Amino acid sequence: MTSEPPEIDVAGAAHTRHPLRWVASVVLLVLAAQLVSLLVTNPNFQWDVVGSYVNAQIIGQGIATTLLLTVIAMTVGVVLGVLLAVGRLSENPVARAACGLYVWFFRGTPVLVQLVLWYNLSYLLPEISFGIPFGPEFVTADTNVLITPLLAAILGLGLNEGAYMAEIIRGGLMSVDPGQSEAAAALGMSSGRTFRRIVLPQAMRFIIPPTGSQVISMLKATSLVSVIALSDLLYTVQSIYNRTFQTIPLLIVACIWYLIITSILYVGQSFIERHYARGATRNAPQSFWAFATFRRRRPTEVTS
Amino acid sequence: MSVPMVRARAVRKRFGHLEVLKGIDLDVQPGEVVVILGPSGSGKSTFLRCVNHLETIDGGAIHVDGELIGFEVKGGKVRHLRKREITRQRREIGMVFQQFNLFPHMTVLQNVMEAPVGVRGEPRDEAKERAYALLRRVGLEDKAAAYPRQLSGGQQQRVAIARALAMRPKLMLFDEPTSALDPELVGEVLATMKSLAEDGLTMIVVTHEIGFAREVADRVVFMDGGVVVESGPPAKVLDDPSNERTKAFLSRVL
Repeated sequence: MTSEPPEIDVAGAAHTRHPLRWVASVVLLVLAAQLVSLLVTNPNFQWDVVGSYVNAQIIGQGIATTLLLTVIAMTVGVVLGVLLAVGRLSENPVARAACGLYVWFFRGTPVLVQLVLWYNLSYLLPEISFGIPFGPEFVTADTNVLITPLLAAILGLGLNEGAYMAEIIRGGLMSVDPGQSEAAAALGMSSGRTFRRIVLPQAMRFIIPPTGSQVISMLKATSLVSVIALSDLLYTVQSIYNRTFQTIPLLIVACIWYLIITSILYVGQSFIERHYARGATRNAPQSFWAFATFRRRRPTEVTS
Repeated sequence: MSVPMVRARAVRKRFGHLEVLKGIDLDVQPGEVVVILGPSGSGKSTFLRCVNHLETIDGGAIHVDGELIGFEVKGGKVRHLRKREITRQRREIGMVFQQFNLFPHMTVLQNVMEAPVGVRGEPRDEAKERAYALLRRVGLEDKAAAYPRQLSGGQQQRVAIARALAMRPKLMLFDEPTSALDPELVGEVLATMKSLAEDGLTMIVVTHEIGFAREVADRVVFMDGGVVVESGPPAKVLDDPSNERTKAFLSRVL
C-alpha cells in the first residue's frame, strides 16, 4: 500500500536563484558608470560647444535637407519598388527579366558609387534629349545644368532604394496565401481590385517592418551626399568643424539629431504596424486611442 | 427541355504531362444538387475549378446557363476570353473552398459586403441589409463585427457560404467544404448547405460526406482516374453500384 502523498500547494513557491545574472548585472553597471564618468569628466567632449550648436539655425537647415531628401528618395524608392515587384511577379518574361536585372545591378553596386556616378553623369552624356527613340529630338538639355547635386542625390538614393523596396514588397506579396486571390477571383473581382483590396492590405503586415528599417537606413544614408557637396546634416557640421576644429562636439550634435529623428520614426512605425495587424490575431485590434492612453489590452473571448 | 445550368462535354485538363481530366461529360439541371464522389486524385476538385474557370480547360467545353465559360466563338474561331469577361462570368457562380479563404483583414460583415459593393456596385445600405439577412440565414448575425480568426472553422465556412450567396449566384460550387473541419463542426455546415438545396439553389458539391450525398443529392456522380465512372440517383449509386471501382471506393469509406 502506498500512503496518500501530503497535500501540496505550489502557490508562493520560492523562485530559482540566478547568481550569474547578478554577476552580469554588476559588470554592466560598472561599465555604464565608467561611460557616464567619461562623458562628464572628459573635457574633450566640449559639451558647452554641443549645447551652443544643437539648436543652431544652420544645423536646422541641414536637418531640413536631410529630411527632405529622405522623404523624396524614399517616395521614389517605394513607387519604383511597387512597380518592380509587380514586374518581377508578372507573367511577361521580358518584364520579369528587366526588373530582375535592375534589382541585380542596383543592389550589387555600392550606393556611394551610384551617387558619384549620377553626379558625374555629364562625362558620360554631355547632353540629355527627349524625343522619339533613334528619331528626331524635341528637347535637349545640358546635363550639367539638369543634374543638380540635389537631383543627383535623389536619383542615387531613390533608384538604389527602389531595388531594395522591390524585394521587400515582392516578399510581402508572395507571403499572402494564394487562396486569397482565388477567393477574390471566384467572387468576380478584377485582378486590380484583388490587388488593392485583398492582397496588398495583407502584404502590408510583412512589408511595413522592413520598410521602417529602410526609412531609418535611408535617413542615415543621406549623409553620403556630403561627398557631392549637398548641405545635409552631416555636410553642415563638417563645414563648421573644418573651420573651428571642434570635430567631436559637432559630430555629437549630428548624432543627437539622427537619434531624435530615428526615435520619432520608430514610434510612427509601431502605429502603422498596429493598423495593418487587423484580424491577424484572435484578439480584437486595439484602437489608436486605447494605445495612446496606454490602456492595457484585454483579451477578448474566443468562441470555438 | 430547359437549358441545363451546367453542360460539360469532353472536358480535358492537363497539368504538365499528367492528364487529370480525360473527357468529362456532365449535365446539371437548374435546381439540381449534384454530389461528386471519388478517391483523392480522381480530378473531382479540378473539374469543379474548371466550371468557374479557376483552371483553364485544355479540351472540350463547359457551358453555364447556356454561356460558354472562358472562351468565345467568333467568326467560326474559338478564342480565349479576355480577363474582364471571365471576371464577369464568375460573378454568376459562387464558390466555397475547403480552406474557407475568408479575407482575414476584414470583419465578417465586410467579407460578405465586399463583392456586392465593390464588384456589383450595390448601394452600401442595401448590401449591408442583405449581408445581415444572409448572416442570419447561416446563423451568425451576432458575429458580424468579428474577424474571421476569432471564429471556429464551422462558423468561418458558414460566413464563406454567406459571402458567396451575397453575389446572388445562379450556381454554387462546394469544394470539399467540410474536409478541413473538426468532426463536431461538420454538421452545422452541412445543415446550412441542406437548407440552400431545399430552397432550390443549383449546387455541385465535391465531398466525402456520404450521408450528405444520400440525404440531399438529387444525383451522385462517381469519378475516378479523370473520368465519370458512374452517375445516378443516390440510392442507386450508393447502395447498388454497378461499377467495380465505385464498389471498391464505397466499401472503403462506408
